[in-house]
Amino acid sequence: MIGTKSFEAIVNGEQVKLNIPQNLRLIDVLRNYLGLTGTKEGCGEGECGACTVLVDGEPYNSCLLFALQVQNKNILTIEGLASYNNLHPLQESFLEHGAVQCGYCTPGMLLVAKALLDKNPNPTREEIKVAISGNLCRCTGYSKIVDAISAVAEKGVKR
Amino acid sequence: MTIGKSLPRYEGLGKVTGQAKFPADYYMPGMLYGKTLRTPLASAKILRLDTSKAESLRGVAKVVTAQDIPGENGHGVIFPDAPILVEDRVRSINDAIALVAAESEEIAEEALSLIKVEYEELPAVYDPREAMKEDSPLVWDKGNILYHLPIRKGDVEKGFREADVIVENKYSTQMVDHAFLQPEAALSYIDETGNLVLRVATQYVHWDRTEIARALNININQVRVVCATVGGAFGGREDMTLQLHCSLLTWLTKRPVKMVYSREESFKAHSKRHPIYMKYKTGCTKEGKLIALEAEFIGDAGAYSSWSPNILRKSAVHATGPYYVPNVKVDAYAVHTNNPFTGAMRGFGAAQPPIAYEAQMDLLAKELGLHPFTIRWRNAFEEGSETATGQILETSVGLKETLLATAKAYGWDVEKLY
Amino acid sequence: MKKRGIGIGCTFYGTGYGNGFPDISTAFVEIHDDGSVLILTGAVDCGQGSTTVLTQIAAEELGIPTDMVTITCADTGCTPDSGTTAATRQTYTTGNAIRLACQKAKKTLLEWAAKELGTNTIEGLVIAEGKIMVKGHPQKSITFKEACAKARFAGNRLIGEASFTTHATQVNMEDGQGAPYWPYAFGTQIAEVEVDTETGKVEVLRIVAAQDVGKAINPQSVEGQIEGGVAQGLGWSLLEEVKLSSGNITNPAFSSYLIPTVLDMPEIETYIIESHEPTGPYGAKGVGEPAMLSAAPAILNAIHDAIGVRINDLPATPEKILEALQEKK
Ligand code: FES
Ligand code: FES
Repeated sequence: MIGTKSFEAIVNGEQVKLNIPQNLRLIDVLRNYLGLTGTKEGCGEGECGACTVLVDGEPYNSCLLFALQVQNKNILTIEGLASYNNLHPLQESFLEHGAVQCGYCTPGMLLVAKALLDKNPNPTREEIKVAISGNLCRCTGYSKIVDAISAVAEKGVKR
Repeated sequence: MTIGKSLPRYEGLGKVTGQAKFPADYYMPGMLYGKTLRTPLASAKILRLDTSKAESLRGVAKVVTAQDIPGENGHGVIFPDAPILVEDRVRSINDAIALVAAESEEIAEEALSLIKVEYEELPAVYDPREAMKEDSPLVWDKGNILYHLPIRKGDVEKGFREADVIVENKYSTQMVDHAFLQPEAALSYIDETGNLVLRVATQYVHWDRTEIARALNININQVRVVCATVGGAFGGREDMTLQLHCSLLTWLTKRPVKMVYSREESFKAHSKRHPIYMKYKTGCTKEGKLIALEAEFIGDAGAYSSWSPNILRKSAVHATGPYYVPNVKVDAYAVHTNNPFTGAMRGFGAAQPPIAYEAQMDLLAKELGLHPFTIRWRNAFEEGSETATGQILETSVGLKETLLATAKAYGWDVEKLY
Repeated sequence: MKKRGIGIGCTFYGTGYGNGFPDISTAFVEIHDDGSVLILTGAVDCGQGSTTVLTQIAAEELGIPTDMVTITCADTGCTPDSGTTAATRQTYTTGNAIRLACQKAKKTLLEWAAKELGTNTIEGLVIAEGKIMVKGHPQKSITFKEACAKARFAGNRLIGEASFTTHATQVNMEDGQGAPYWPYAFGTQIAEVEVDTETGKVEVLRIVAAQDVGKAINPQSVEGQIEGGVAQGLGWSLLEEVKLSSGNITNPAFSSYLIPTVLDMPEIETYIIESHEPTGPYGAKGVGEPAMLSAAPAILNAIHDAIGVRINDLPATPEKILEALQEKK
C-alpha cells in the first residue's frame, strides 16, 4: 500500500490542503479531488499538452507531475483564468477567431498562450507556433489558434 | 439576417472556460470504475476463461463475461458481427474478453490481471489480397470477401483502343487512426424510474440506444443516451466501443459505472481508416480528354464489417475523380482479415481514390506535355455532367470555380491553360 | 539539396448516407411567450460546429436574432432522431428539417397575426426587426414578442415538427449504375512543398484550398473545417500510419503515431465557393469530409514535381522518399 501525504498548494488563488496518496498525479488531484475538470487528459504520457497547467507561471503537463512535486507552488488551471462574466482576452480572442472546435485542446492551448504572452507580450507568429508546438489539436489545423493568440499580442493586452 | 455571418460558437463559452463537460468529466457518488480485458492475439480460440480470482478480490463488484450478456452478443452499424464480449473465437485485437467493475481504478486494473485466459492460437491472415485467395485462412466461415461492387459503363476495351496515351499504376494507402484528442469515456447509471442512462461522446445517440437495448434485452424506451461534449470524432465514434460495456456493468450491478480509455486502449478499441490497394489504368486522347478508366480497389475490412460495404461502394462511385469518363470499369472489394477492424473515417472511402486518380491525371498530363491544370479543366465535371454510375449532376457543381480560385492564387495564367 | 515543387488535387464527395438508405433528420421547435425559441434535435456536434449552424438556420427562418434561439441536441430523452453526425450530412439534412419545423411554427403565429393586422394571407406579412409587419405597409405591425404572447394566450401553440429525407437512389449490384448520393461537393487544393533530398524530409510550404460548399452558413466555421481537413490530409500523406505486427498495433501512442503539430502546418489560404444547392438550406451543402480530400493528392503531386519520383504507397515518409530517389539514380 502506498502511504498518504499532506499536499499543500495555491490553486487558482486559493490555498488547498489535502491528504493524498504519494503517487498521485497532479492531474488527478485537480480533476478527482478538486473537481477542476477543465484540465483534460489526452494521452497521459506528456505527448499532447491537453493537461497543461501553469505552475508558478510556467506551463507543465500535469499528467507527468506527481502532485507532491508541486508542493507549495502556485497552480493555475483553466478555471482560474477567468469567470463566465469576465473572460480573459485570450478566451475572447479564441471565440472571436473561431479557434475552438471540439474544445478538448482549448484549455491547454489557452494556458500555454497565457504563459507565452506574460513573458513575451509581442511574440512573432513563429514564436507563437513554437510555444504551442507541444499541444496537439486534431480539429482546427492550428491556423485560427495562432490567429487568436497573435490578435491578443497585437493588441498588447496583458493580464 | 444571420446566414453567411461568422457567429461565434454556440457552446464556445463553456469550452474556453473549462466548463464544457466531456464524458470523463462526470462523476457520481458511489460510482464504480469499469475496465476491459482485451485479447493479445488476433486469431485464437478461448479454451478456458477463469475469473474466480478476480471475482473474489476485495473491492470488485462484478466481473462480466459473454455468458452474462442478457441480450444479443453482437453489435455493428450494418451487421451485428462484432462481439460485445468474445465467447470462444477471437478474430482481432479489438476483441474484449471480460469486464470488471470495481470500487477504484486500481482495484479494477488488478482484477484484470487476475483473470486467466487460455488461448489456442489459430491461423490468421493479415493482407486482404491474401485473404481473397482460395487457400487463405478464413476469418469467417462464410468466406472472407464481404462485399464486391462492379461498375460497368460504356466499353473500356474500346475506350483503351481509342486512347492516345495510357498510364497504368498501383497505389496503396495505409491504416490510420482518427486520433481525436479526447479518448473514449462514459458514465452510466440507473435513474429514478429504473431506466438506464448513459452519458457518452458519440456520433449518434439514437443508434447507441438501439444497440444498448439489444444487448441488455430491454425496450428501447428503457435506455436514455445523452451526448456529452464530444472531443472530436471523425467517424471513429460511430461503432460501439465502451457504450455497451459500461451499460452492461451498470445494468448488472445497478450502480453508476464510469469507464475511461487510455490513449493506447483508444487506439485498440475504435475503427480505423481502410488501407486500400488500388490498381489504375487510365487512357486519354491527344487533347487530354479522358476516354477510359479501369480501377480495382481491395479494402482491408479487418475482422468486422462495420461500414465496409458502404465505404468500398463509395470508393467505387468516386473512382473516376470529378471528371467525365465515357468508359469505366471498376471493381471494389471489402475483404476480412484478422487486422483491427476498419470503418468510418472522414472521407469514407472517397479519400483513397484521389491518391490514385490525381496521380494518374498528372502522369497523363506529363505524357502529353499538358499543364496539370489543363488536363483537369478539360475533364472537370460541370452542371449536366454524367458520373460513372450514370448520375446526372444537375445542380451546384462548383468544381471549375475551385480550380480557378486556387490556380489564380498561385498566379497561374489560366487564360492560356484552358 | 532542397527542391521545391507544386502539386494540385481535385476531388469530389457525395454527401449523405447514400444508396437509398433512409437518411432522415427530425427537429422540433417551440416558440415561447417572449418570442424566444427552443429547438430540439438529435444531431450531435462533434466539434465541427453543427449546433451553431443549426441555430443560425432557425433564427434566419424565424426572422429573429440567434440569441433568441436555444438548442438542445442529442439526448434521446428529449430530442428526436436526426441520424448520425457523419456523411457530411448535418448542415444539409438536419438544417433542412429545422427549417421546415420553423416554417410550421411560424405559420401558426402568422395566421394569428394576419387576423390581428387585418391581412387576408400570411404571405402578406414579413418578420423583421423584432416585428411582424404588413408587406408594403410596415406602419401596420405588432412586435414579435407581443404577437407570440397574444397568439399563445388565444390558445395557439407555436410549435413545429418536421423530418427531412436526403434523396438518394440505390446502385445496381450488377453494373453499379444509379444515383447513389446527393448533393456532391467539390474542391481543389494546390500545395507547394520543399523536399530535402539529403534527408527525404518534406516540408509543406503553402496550401491554397477552395471548397464548393453551396452556401457558407458560417464562413468562419467553413474555414475551420477546411483548415482542419488540410491538417488531416497532410498527416495522412506524410506522417500517420498504424503499424501492425500479427494484427497487433505496435504504435498506439502519440510518440510513435505522429499527427501534425503546428510546426508541420503551412499557412493555409482558403477560398469558399458558393454554387448554391437548390435543395439545401439557403443553398448549403456539407463541407466536413470533402475538405480533407484534396490535400494528400496535392502534396504527393508536389513531391513528384519537386524531385521527379512518385510515392504511390502512403505515407510518403523520408525513408520512402530516399529509397525512391536512390532507385531513380
Ligand atoms: S495528457 Fe498530459 S500531455 Fe497528454
Ligand atoms: S479543437 Fe478539437 S482538438 Fe483542438
